[in-house]
Amino acid sequence: MSAFLTRNRLIVLAYAGMVVLLLVTALFSPGFLSVSNMRSTVVLAAFVGIVALGQTFVIIGGGIDLSVPWVLNSAAIIMALLCGGQDLPLIWVMPLLLAGGAVIGLVNGVGVARFGVPPIIMTLATNVILQGLILVLTGGSPTPSAPALIQFLSVGRIGGFPVIALIWLALTLVATLLLSKAAFGRHLYALGTSATVAEFSGVPTARTTILTYVASGLTAAFAGMLLTGYSGQAYLGMGDAYLFTSIAAVAIGGASILGGSGHYLGTVAGAMVLTILTGLLPALNLSSGALLIVYGAVILLTVSIGSEAFAGLGGRLRRN
Amino acid sequence: MTVERTAEMAQRPAEVKSVNPGIDWRGRALDRAPFLVACLMLALIVAIYGSLQSGVFTLDELNLDTAAAMTLMLAATGQTIVLVRGGIDLSIGGMISLGTVIAATRFTDDPSTTALWALAILALGFGIGALNGLLISLLKLQPFLVTLATWSILNGVAMIILPTDGGSIPSWWVGFASAQFIGLTSPVWMLLALLLFWWWFHATRVGITIQASGSNEKSAFLSGVSITRVNLVTYGLSGLFAAGAALFLVTQTGAGSPTIGKDYILPSVAAAVIGGVSLFGGRGHLAGTLIGAFVLTLIGNLVFVLHVSSYWQPVASGVILLLSVLASSIAEKAARSRVQ
Repeated sequence: MSAFLTRNRLIVLAYAGMVVLLLVTALFSPGFLSVSNMRSTVVLAAFVGIVALGQTFVIIGGGIDLSVPWVLNSAAIIMALLCGGQDLPLIWVMPLLLAGGAVIGLVNGVGVARFGVPPIIMTLATNVILQGLILVLTGGSPTPSAPALIQFLSVGRIGGFPVIALIWLALTLVATLLLSKAAFGRHLYALGTSATVAEFSGVPTARTTILTYVASGLTAAFAGMLLTGYSGQAYLGMGDAYLFTSIAAVAIGGASILGGSGHYLGTVAGAMVLTILTGLLPALNLSSGALLIVYGAVILLTVSIGSEAFAGLGGRLRRN
Repeated sequence: MTVERTAEMAQRPAEVKSVNPGIDWRGRALDRAPFLVACLMLALIVAIYGSLQSGVFTLDELNLDTAAAMTLMLAATGQTIVLVRGGIDLSIGGMISLGTVIAATRFTDDPSTTALWALAILALGFGIGALNGLLISLLKLQPFLVTLATWSILNGVAMIILPTDGGSIPSWWVGFASAQFIGLTSPVWMLLALLLFWWWFHATRVGITIQASGSNEKSAFLSGVSITRVNLVTYGLSGLFAAGAALFLVTQTGAGSPTIGKDYILPSVAAAVIGGVSLFGGRGHLAGTLIGAFVLTLIGNLVFVLHVSSYWQPVASGVILLLSVLASSIAEKAARSRVQ
């Protein structure tokens, strides 16, 4: 048990932080812990969590994916355009757009792994290219409303549970299995710790890198479609906020931006923390500016706790 | 020049030097390849632009384009220093927003009050940048996450000061951008000043230590460089230039905006990378960055004269970014294989 705590100190801390935040928020706004409010918090956190799933893989592998906003936005807009408010086309539109997200991820991954392009530049470039193409495609005009089926996936419920929360739970299980039980996970942590050592140890580094970006393209595209269902419509700029929140959720969840550490279970707590904070501020009567300040402070705090300097300090204190 | 030599000697085995004691032209060309590619791109863009539009090769056009590019150039100057150090500064977005909202709410018609506030904004920029540097060094944190956090915090402060775009900038401050001296407007003089600054700065002790720590932090530290001090100055300068960018930006917009800064974060990195600055630290010149900023700005003009939808502009800039980074990675590989 103690070994588990030491190894996953940051993830445990992220969950502890989440619980403390929940209690504090409940103190200020008594209705916060109500079933309906918790339900809507989890639904909002699910969007961040799903986008951050791919981002977690990419960051553990030592990269970063800045193309998330417009992969998400492109999937949302193209889905709305192709479906035209009808359910039936979803049968082929959803797989098509998931494949599209995967292809963008493939392009990112190949650029990074095969051509040695820095991840920041590669994914930044695909992001602006997608942004431009979508703007050209739509001419800036609004799209038809979301099909009812996708709305069911985002806001519907099965036996009291939001459907999207169940989807998130399933994805969390898959991600946890991949990271903790599959060869992919072992390869990924090796790659993120040291690409050179991993390469010489026979880890398929290029393939693993490419797979992380493909995963990120998939989750961003999937989240884009679900988010369209949630807002009832796809609009330009709907993905912009998710660049910051997806990276922040991973960081708060205890992963190192250098790669090699972290887990999706931590990211789940990170997504919850970010969303609970969004709910805390109206209770305290604070503006959206204050929310950004709190976000920044929370990121600084969590990365400080995770840093070597802090760990060293803890060691010194224990020795004394 | 001296900096480059030391960096080269640090990276290359001694035998290579002894085999070819004369000037290694091919090696130099490979070293400069990304910069040369950027120059070529700019020349190409200007040529196409000039053949489609009359009056491109005039001082007026130079004045106009430099004014359009200057905010990005100032932001990218700070970013270049940070990239050469081997870091990245995302907080410039927050600093630019904060600078514009302070200017839009505090500047008055009284020049002395305004000048004081302008100085205060510059000092704030340096101070916050220095704080970034200290956090990175003392807590051993990653620049990406620290500056992501401070970006959010600064952006939040800007939104509290001025929740929506607005405020006003005194007309005499706005007029600064079109003030002329010997046919050239102030932005063109600022461009020359930036080049002069770099020519001086990269050979100073501070400039050399920044580049050396970007090349190899451990060996810089072992040679007696204080990494904490280097980070403090590097990020401080980045904040200072971001504040400068804010002060120039308000001459173009005439108002403050709590969100405008984010439009300069990634383009500042892109301008530097197009100009041949390496994201891995230790390599790069401001001249390249400024050319990169011109390339990114002129794409907008090009899209306009080609009569295609302005939405193609981000597509074009993304493709150019990819092409130039591919060119530099190929050049780097070639340089490495020559050494081995």
